[in-house]
Amino acid sequence: MGIGVLLVEDNDLNRDMLSRRLTRAGYVVRTATDGEEALAKVRELRPDVVLLDLSLPVKDGWATCEEIRADARISATAIIALTAHAMSDDRKRALAAGCNDYAPKPVDFPELLEKIEKITAVGRPR
Amino acid sequence: MSLKRRLTLSLLAILVIFSLNVGTHFWGSFARTESMIAYRTSVSAQQLSATIGQQLEEQRIQIRVLATLRETTEDTLSAEDHEQAKTNLESTAAKISALGEISQDINQPQYRALREAGDKLLAVWRNFYLRYNDPGYQPPLDTSNEPVFYEETMQRLETLRAAQGFIAEQRAAIIDRTINLTDRITLASFLASILLTSILGFFLVRYTSESLNRLKTGTQRIGSGDLSYRIDDIEDSGELGDLAKAFNEMSEKLRKAILEVSTARENADLANQAKSSFLANVSHELRTPLTAIIGYSEMLYDELGDDGRINRGQFQQDLQKIILSGKQLLGLINDILDISKIETGKMTVLMEDFEALPILQQVCQTIQPMLEKQNNKLTLKPMGELPTFHNDATKFRQLFLNLLSNASKFTQSGNIEVSAKPRGRVVAFTVSDNGIGMSRKQQKKVFEAFVQADDSTSRNYGGTGLGLAICKEYCQLMGGSITVKSSLGVGTTFYIKLPSRGPAQGSSRAAG
Repeated sequence: MGIGVLLVEDNDLNRDMLSRRLTRAGYVVRTATDGEEALAKVRELRPDVVLLDLSLPVKDGWATCEEIRADARISATAIIALTAHAMSDDRKRALAAGCNDYAPKPVDFPELLEKIEKITAVGRPR
Repeated sequence: MSLKRRLTLSLLAILVIFSLNVGTHFWGSFARTESMIAYRTSVSAQQLSATIGQQLEEQRIQIRVLATLRETTEDTLSAEDHEQAKTNLESTAAKISALGEISQDINQPQYRALREAGDKLLAVWRNFYLRYNDPGYQPPLDTSNEPVFYEETMQRLETLRAAQGFIAEQRAAIIDRTINLTDRITLASFLASILLTSILGFFLVRYTSESLNRLKTGTQRIGSGDLSYRIDDIEDSGELGDLAKAFNEMSEKLRKAILEVSTARENADLANQAKSSFLANVSHELRTPLTAIIGYSEMLYDELGDDGRINRGQFQQDLQKIILSGKQLLGLINDILDISKIETGKMTVLMEDFEALPILQQVCQTIQPMLEKQNNKLTLKPMGELPTFHNDATKFRQLFLNLLSNASKFTQSGNIEVSAKPRGRVVAFTVSDNGIGMSRKQQKKVFEAFVQADDSTSRNYGGTGLGLAICKEYCQLMGGSITVKSSLGVGTTFYIKLPSRGPAQGSSRAAG
């Protein structure tokens, strides 16, 4: 079974494009469009990695990340911030909220794949 | 009281006391001198009286001896003896005259009595010597009035001497009293001047140092940064009061200047913050369509490289998405350019004739996909007869496009309505929705460039915060106005008033 990726993205085009490309790259991709939905799916699906947009309706990405980290059952989930917030402070803010890594938009796809590989290799001792 | 007046008053008081002292001294000195002269004259007159009395006594004894000799012998007087006797008599007469000269006016009656008696006595005696050598001369001493005259003269001389002695005693007493009095006055004014100087000095120092202390406290307080501190209740209406007033004015000016500086700094900080957050928002908004453009392009490129067959329908749809994102990006860039054109005063108005309704219908068509996505219903209410506009049609179109996409963005499964009513030469439009609405605070800022209702708005709804700022500027450029009424959770209505005949063509700078 492939690596499970939860893609959290509110922009329809980008969600569609990324999920298709990730599927093409061999990942098992599930999607969510806002923070609440993302939290529910993390609890339900236990993905190997969450690709988390930060500007989200209902509950934003920073708060979602903090809640994942606060919930003992899912706190070990790997999270990569995937965001158009690309000013110098935004990386720090993302990491401070609890993200393991940070990838600014527009996405450098090969680099994103590398990041997913690296983070899931650490998280998978087998 | 001013410091100058206090000092002047003190100096005057000291001067008055000093002149009192000097005056007393001169008056005492004058009084003493006058009494002293009178005293001395009286003493001299007394002495002279005594001398005269002695001389008279001696001459009488001599005359008595000579008379006795004349009765018993026939001896005559030599010319020398004669001359001697005559000189003695003249000397006595001269002394009596001198006594008259030095006698006080008050003693003149006594003196005249003495002189009368003395003259008679001396005339008898002069006659005695004149006729002494006459043959058969019988000295008339016991038979004539001579003893009476003598007694009278001596008695009156004594009276005069006693009177002069009395005067001398009186004068001496006066001198003593004068000395006593001047001594007392001098001592009293000396003590008074010491007392007065001390009191004046005490109050001068106390008041002055109190005022100076207040000034010092004020200086320290203001120096330590308490610029609202004022020096109150300085009783001094003079230099120190003026100083306190000038001091208070200075600190007031200082306070105002610092306030102005800090306000200016705050405004600059706010403007800076707004620009930074604008820049961050612009960056965010540009990256979102770019992500789609680059992502889809790379994906399609990869698919083309695959050996498998290409799904042409899917391929076309994906290319459509790239085109859509590209157009969205262009619109965004245009908005940014517009706002910076408006800001630099380079936006122009282009006048042309147009009808409002077809343009509004066209805008509704354009906005349709967005309405569908948010499940909103848009109604164009019946508008009746609208005048033909002579204004900037492009800006008119952009204005309603912005307002409607804005309304749709902040409304979910709701109703959006557009209405228009002609009012003379102005047409009143409304664009209303029953979306999330805005608080009073948000409504105040909603037309400012770079500002959205708040940070979470841009996070939740996207956008650069330029749409409504552009709307407001466009309305003004077209000679109209835009206002907003809204309540949280109920909805928002924008009121737009546009003149059918717009302003003369010009730049946004002229429109203000």
